[in-house]
Amino acid sequence: MRTISYFLLVAAATLVAASASAQAPLYQKCLLCHGRPGFKKVMPDGKVLELFVNRAELENSIHAKLHCTDCHADVMEIPHLKRPGRVNCYRCHYKDNPNGALPANEFFQSVHGKLVARGDPKAPLCQNCHGGHSVQKVDSPLSTVNHQNVASTCGTCHKPQYDNYIQSIHGTALLDRHIRSAPTCTTCHGKHLILRPSNPESNIYPLNVINVCSKCHENKELIRKYNIPGGRISTYKESYHGVADEFGSVRVANCSSCHRAHLILPQSDPRSSINKANLAKTCSKCHPNADVNFTKGKIHVNYKSRSSGIIYYIGLFFEILTLSTLTVLFIHILLDLFRRYRAGEIGKKKEHD
Amino acid sequence: MNDRVERLSLDLRLQHGVLLIAMIVLLLTGLVLKFHDNVVSAWLIRLEGGILFRGLIHRAFAIVLILLAVYHAAWVTFTDTGHSELMAMVPRHKDLSDFFQKLAFNLGLSNNLPAFDRYDYLQKLQYWGVAIGTAVMIVTGMVLWFVNESMAILPKWIIDLTLIVHGWDGVLIFIVLFLFHMYNVHLNPAVFPMSMTWIDGKIQVDRMKNEHRLEYDRLVSDRSDEDH
Repeated sequence: MRTISYFLLVAAATLVAASASAQAPLYQKCLLCHGRPGFKKVMPDGKVLELFVNRAELENSIHAKLHCTDCHADVMEIPHLKRPGRVNCYRCHYKDNPNGALPANEFFQSVHGKLVARGDPKAPLCQNCHGGHSVQKVDSPLSTVNHQNVASTCGTCHKPQYDNYIQSIHGTALLDRHIRSAPTCTTCHGKHLILRPSNPESNIYPLNVINVCSKCHENKELIRKYNIPGGRISTYKESYHGVADEFGSVRVANCSSCHRAHLILPQSDPRSSINKANLAKTCSKCHPNADVNFTKGKIHVNYKSRSSGIIYYIGLFFEILTLSTLTVLFIHILLDLFRRYRAGEIGKKKEHD
Repeated sequence: MNDRVERLSLDLRLQHGVLLIAMIVLLLTGLVLKFHDNVVSAWLIRLEGGILFRGLIHRAFAIVLILLAVYHAAWVTFTDTGHSELMAMVPRHKDLSDFFQKLAFNLGLSNNLPAFDRYDYLQKLQYWGVAIGTAVMIVTGMVLWFVNESMAILPKWIIDLTLIVHGWDGVLIFIVLFLFHMYNVHLNPAVFPMSMTWIDGKIQVDRMKNEHRLEYDRLVSDRSDEDH
């Protein structure tokens, strides 16, 4: 009798467990506490840890089918007594796994990954950008890291940069006017391999900035489609700034020195660093004497365009002068040689020396 | 008649030597900037210690050239030899007729080589070309060297213009000195491989008779005066 009742009990328990896995998610048990809105813990230092987990978020995420302890693998008993550690995505997303591997190499070389490796508790891990309980595929409209949303995700830590970006022409184009080609943080900084601007490998290292900006500002299709001013890159490259930049001067002005990195605004905007009213101030960052008088004239001068006025015509004058001098002197030399040849001077002149 | 007589004083030869070195360095460090978009310039800029050190060399030799220009200006103004050299360089109507005469002679239309004085029209052209070119280079170069000070008084378009003039003037000087002058004193069959005048200051009497007939005649008549 005892054995039968034992078997019945086990069978019932198995049945309950099986039906739970089929109908209600396995995280039911955790949500007994974490499902209560306002569930939190006040830490000894006064900080409040919000511990509420939104069930709907979990069920909408790409990880809806997982159990809490699949990610929070250090929770051995429920209720758990110790505070669980940070989730390690590598448990599933290891190299060559069928669900997609993490770009771990890139990440751990990045400024974020290096902080993680150093043990900084505030350094972002995968879940901080991709979303923890609400994680989505990157191309999902709900993803925190899709082209549209990634800026506000970065902004949770990089607030001043985000505030500048959303006001900039890039930010308003993407977020307000929904132009998909407009750049967001990752367009310039990269995704996983984000490096400090002082790192020569970084996209935004002073010498590399021009390449980042060229991706769009030298793209003929984008220039035509969105009426972006053209010839910015080529005129920069012909200027002293551009030549010095090309040959490795990190001190010389690059695009972002004048246009700013995040608060990039069109010249017509009074807040713009390149607005006529602000230009003297912008130039005087490096050239302390530059004043309003100096800002008369174009900055991106195309020496080969009629629109540059006197600069074009003086250049043309010198070009013609140089070519005609060359031609006249060359003809003169040829005539001299021709005469010497006819006079039989060439080839027998050695006796002089 | 292979005797050689003095043509260039030691003073002039030294001035020439300094000019030669300054010009070579200035052109090598300057033209690489104007024509930066090729492998030779990239190689030269590396050789010159990078873009910033290149600028340092350029400005150091600019000082040499400026000192030389100041010395030369004082020399032609205040010394007798210098002044007579300057007077011999002054362009005259005869230079124009000499040019057409030489052209006719070279084309075989005339058998008379024009009789030149101490400096023929080509030498005058080279001297004044380099003199005016250098003056322009010094003025424009100063604007660019002290660009922060220039910015306080000049609008940007004038500084852009200065850069254009400085660059093209460099090209013109290069053409006059290193293509044309090179022919006259090196590749010309009469002097190939090199006229020694710039080193020992002497010229063969033969060449003087041919190329500086008037000066030769004057020298001969002076000599005969002395003999009397």
